[in-house]
Amino acid sequence: MSVLEASGLVIDVPGRKDGRPLDFAIEPGQLWGVLGPNGAGKTTLLHTLAGLRAPRQGQVLLDGESIARLRRRHLAQALGVIFQERQDGFPATVRETVLIGRHPFLSPWQQEGAEDLRLTEAALTRLELNDLSERLVSQLSGGERQRVAIATTLTQAPRLWLADEPTNHLDLRHQVAVMSLLAEQARNGRGVLLCVHDLNLAARWCDHLLLLYPDGEACWGAAKDMLVPEALERLYDQPLMVAEVNGARVFVPSN
Amino acid sequence: MAATDPTSPTWLAAGRMRRLPLALLVMVALASLLLAVGMGSVTISPQALWAVLTGQGDPLHRTLIFELRLPRALAAFGTGGLLAVAGALMQVLLRNPLADPYVLGVSGGAAVAALAAMLAGLGGVAVSGSAFVGALASTLLVFGLAHGTGSWTPTRLLLTGVVVAAGWGAMITFMLSVGPTEKLPGMLYWLMGDLAYSRGPWPALGLLVIIWLALVPLARSLNVLARGPLQAAALGVAVQPLEGAVYVMASLLTAVAVTTAGSIGFVGLVVPHMLRLVLGNDQRVILPASILAGGTLLTLADTLARILIAPEQLPVGVITALLGVPTFLYLLYRSR
Amino acid sequence: MKAGIGRRLWGAGVALLFSVAATPVWAETCVIDDADREVCLAQPASRIVALSPGATELVFAAGAGDQVVGVVSFSDYPPEAKQRQSVGSHTRLDLETVLSLEPDLLVGWVTGNPHEQLEKLQRLGMSLYLSEPRRFEEVATSLERLATLAGTRERGQVAADEFRAGVGELRERYADASPVRVFYQVWDEPLMTVNDEHLISQAISLCGGKNVFGELPRLVPRIGEEAVLAADPEAIVAGGMGEENRDWLDDWERFEELNAVRRDNLFFVPPSLIQRPTPRLLEGTRILCDHLETARGRH
Repeated sequence: MSVLEASGLVIDVPGRKDGRPLDFAIEPGQLWGVLGPNGAGKTTLLHTLAGLRAPRQGQVLLDGESIARLRRRHLAQALGVIFQERQDGFPATVRETVLIGRHPFLSPWQQEGAEDLRLTEAALTRLELNDLSERLVSQLSGGERQRVAIATTLTQAPRLWLADEPTNHLDLRHQVAVMSLLAEQARNGRGVLLCVHDLNLAARWCDHLLLLYPDGEACWGAAKDMLVPEALERLYDQPLMVAEVNGARVFVPSN
Repeated sequence: MAATDPTSPTWLAAGRMRRLPLALLVMVALASLLLAVGMGSVTISPQALWAVLTGQGDPLHRTLIFELRLPRALAAFGTGGLLAVAGALMQVLLRNPLADPYVLGVSGGAAVAALAAMLAGLGGVAVSGSAFVGALASTLLVFGLAHGTGSWTPTRLLLTGVVVAAGWGAMITFMLSVGPTEKLPGMLYWLMGDLAYSRGPWPALGLLVIIWLALVPLARSLNVLARGPLQAAALGVAVQPLEGAVYVMASLLTAVAVTTAGSIGFVGLVVPHMLRLVLGNDQRVILPASILAGGTLLTLADTLARILIAPEQLPVGVITALLGVPTFLYLLYRSR
Repeated sequence: MKAGIGRRLWGAGVALLFSVAATPVWAETCVIDDADREVCLAQPASRIVALSPGATELVFAAGAGDQVVGVVSFSDYPPEAKQRQSVGSHTRLDLETVLSLEPDLLVGWVTGNPHEQLEKLQRLGMSLYLSEPRRFEEVATSLERLATLAGTRERGQVAADEFRAGVGELRERYADASPVRVFYQVWDEPLMTVNDEHLISQAISLCGGKNVFGELPRLVPRIGEEAVLAADPEAIVAGGMGEENRDWLDDWERFEELNAVRRDNLFFVPPSLIQRPTPRLLEGTRILCDHLETARGRH
């Protein structure tokens, strides 16, 4: 199983001071949440970790090797990314889109095989997309498209998941389903990092948290150490009330 | 990871799904070539045609078929195939169904260079070579300008292409206005785009075969690219080299097509789009299907251009538009 | 395909040898065409396809009208020409029909027919005479040369001599005439004229006129109305789209300050008589000369 490590990493947010370099590692079995207000650079961090954007300083290492030196194909065999924004300019069915997750594993001359189709069907079932499998992605609702994107990464079966707001557009039931899917991936020895807006989803599911401040400051660590109301209030610049429901902490904005 | 079991029925089904439309298109393409060889302003009966094809027959018929109709039909097929696949590639590259090499100024660059060669008193092969260089130069210009100081986006590339194309258009008008009168007819023929003036089918056909083979390993990556550069990179596609290769390839195809038959618009825009409406957007199907359908469309259109009001001949562009526009609109209307 | 052409050429060569041997009466005849190419025929042309309306007129005038089997559209003179098989328009030839007529001589148009199509016809073993007379004398020699190829030398010679005589007569008559400054209008939108290289301008000087735009560098220059006003010609001559359509001339009436308008020197010459390099050019030039003579009388 793989480890993704940020080493002295400063992400490149235009017009912002360097802030604090990030040094953390996503180990197998860990579920990381990235918290921060709008514009703090959560998506930029995720893209930098995925090697889709060059850092200003430092580097990202996959199993000790700098990802800048790795071939994209090799990287894609280990690392799956769920984006917040997607392009559906051309018509494609749900099944075709989910099957595309197998791309990094096929040689240019190869056709998708039985195993690839099996993984696709399993992912469709897992995300409750069977009934939609022949529909065009462009005709789906935002939440359905979100599930298609997650199913695509599930088909890719990466050892490390990087998910940008995976619960966006989802109804409550599917939010829980997706979070437990990610938690299950972590339990099975994969590393997961996700950006979330919903403090309570993070509090409930993540075992590690990274708080990203708009000025580039950051702190990270085990979730229980990070879920301090004062730190969170400073993060969002918003007073919070804390309640306890069935032993879990719940954060509610106060006026 | 991707264990392939060729005996698995699902695998067979997936393969067959892709091959069936292509097999049909191959048959239609052959039929169109046969029709093009069989029809012309001189009537050749099927029996006489068969005699010629089996190596006998009237010498005049042999000349008509082997020296006039077959080379022209093959040139039409080659040109149509090149234009259609170039259009399909540009559309994936820009993730915009409106893109085509003509819109992006590639053919404009070719036309300006070809007309300049004619003005300089060059002829024949020099004009073709010049058109080729012009197409590639225009490609580099558009790509370079769209790149600018930042990274290029499809919208920026499309806009740059459209503006550069407008610039070429103005230069063409300028050259036509100042060009010596005796050279005007030649320049106008070239601009009109007509297979009557093509010199031979072999460059177009040769490139068509090469490009077919080259696209087989790239097609799945293009499927991923159609979902956007970030998604493609995340799925292991080396986006920038692929985009560069696709752009140069599409320009090369256009350059050779334009060199074979002058400027024939419309095919590159409409054929891939029509196929997408019917066959979906798997590039492994769409790209070869574009080659076959584009070739077929231009072969049929050119046959009609030859015989419709024979002995008067029509420019083939008129026919491609007359055939393509209603078909396209019908498919678009029905797809809603 | 290459081998096919090779075999065909070889076959043609053999056929040529035999036919030369079989008809000793007619020695191979060669002429130089207007593109400076040598065109040789082993036998007088018996099936001629003319690839421009002007070429059709020349071939008929050279006495070879009976041998013409194919013409292009707009070949309206002489009237018999309209009965010949059409081989398409001069810009887009129907090569199949040309071949099916099995011609032994094609009369092409250097700047009017597509190069590629002419090349193709030559590759297929067709004899091609390229025609493009640019002076009066070349019209006469064209008649002689085409008559030579068609085996109608006597009738061609008569036609050529008549043409030369007519031209000579005009030249003599107007040699000392006072010069008239002329603007010849080829087209109205855009406004176009001719320079001194053009046959029409040569016709003007034959009549003792002077083309006001003769010095311009292009054969058929595009000009503006201002240029015409600045040149202030004494006479304006136009063809027009149709015969006897004076619209183009009436348009000049707006400019009272033009000498040509004040003196009412706005003349029509039927375009087919003066814009085609054929013997009928003499007829058109006579009409032009009459008009310019009228202009001389109006001060």
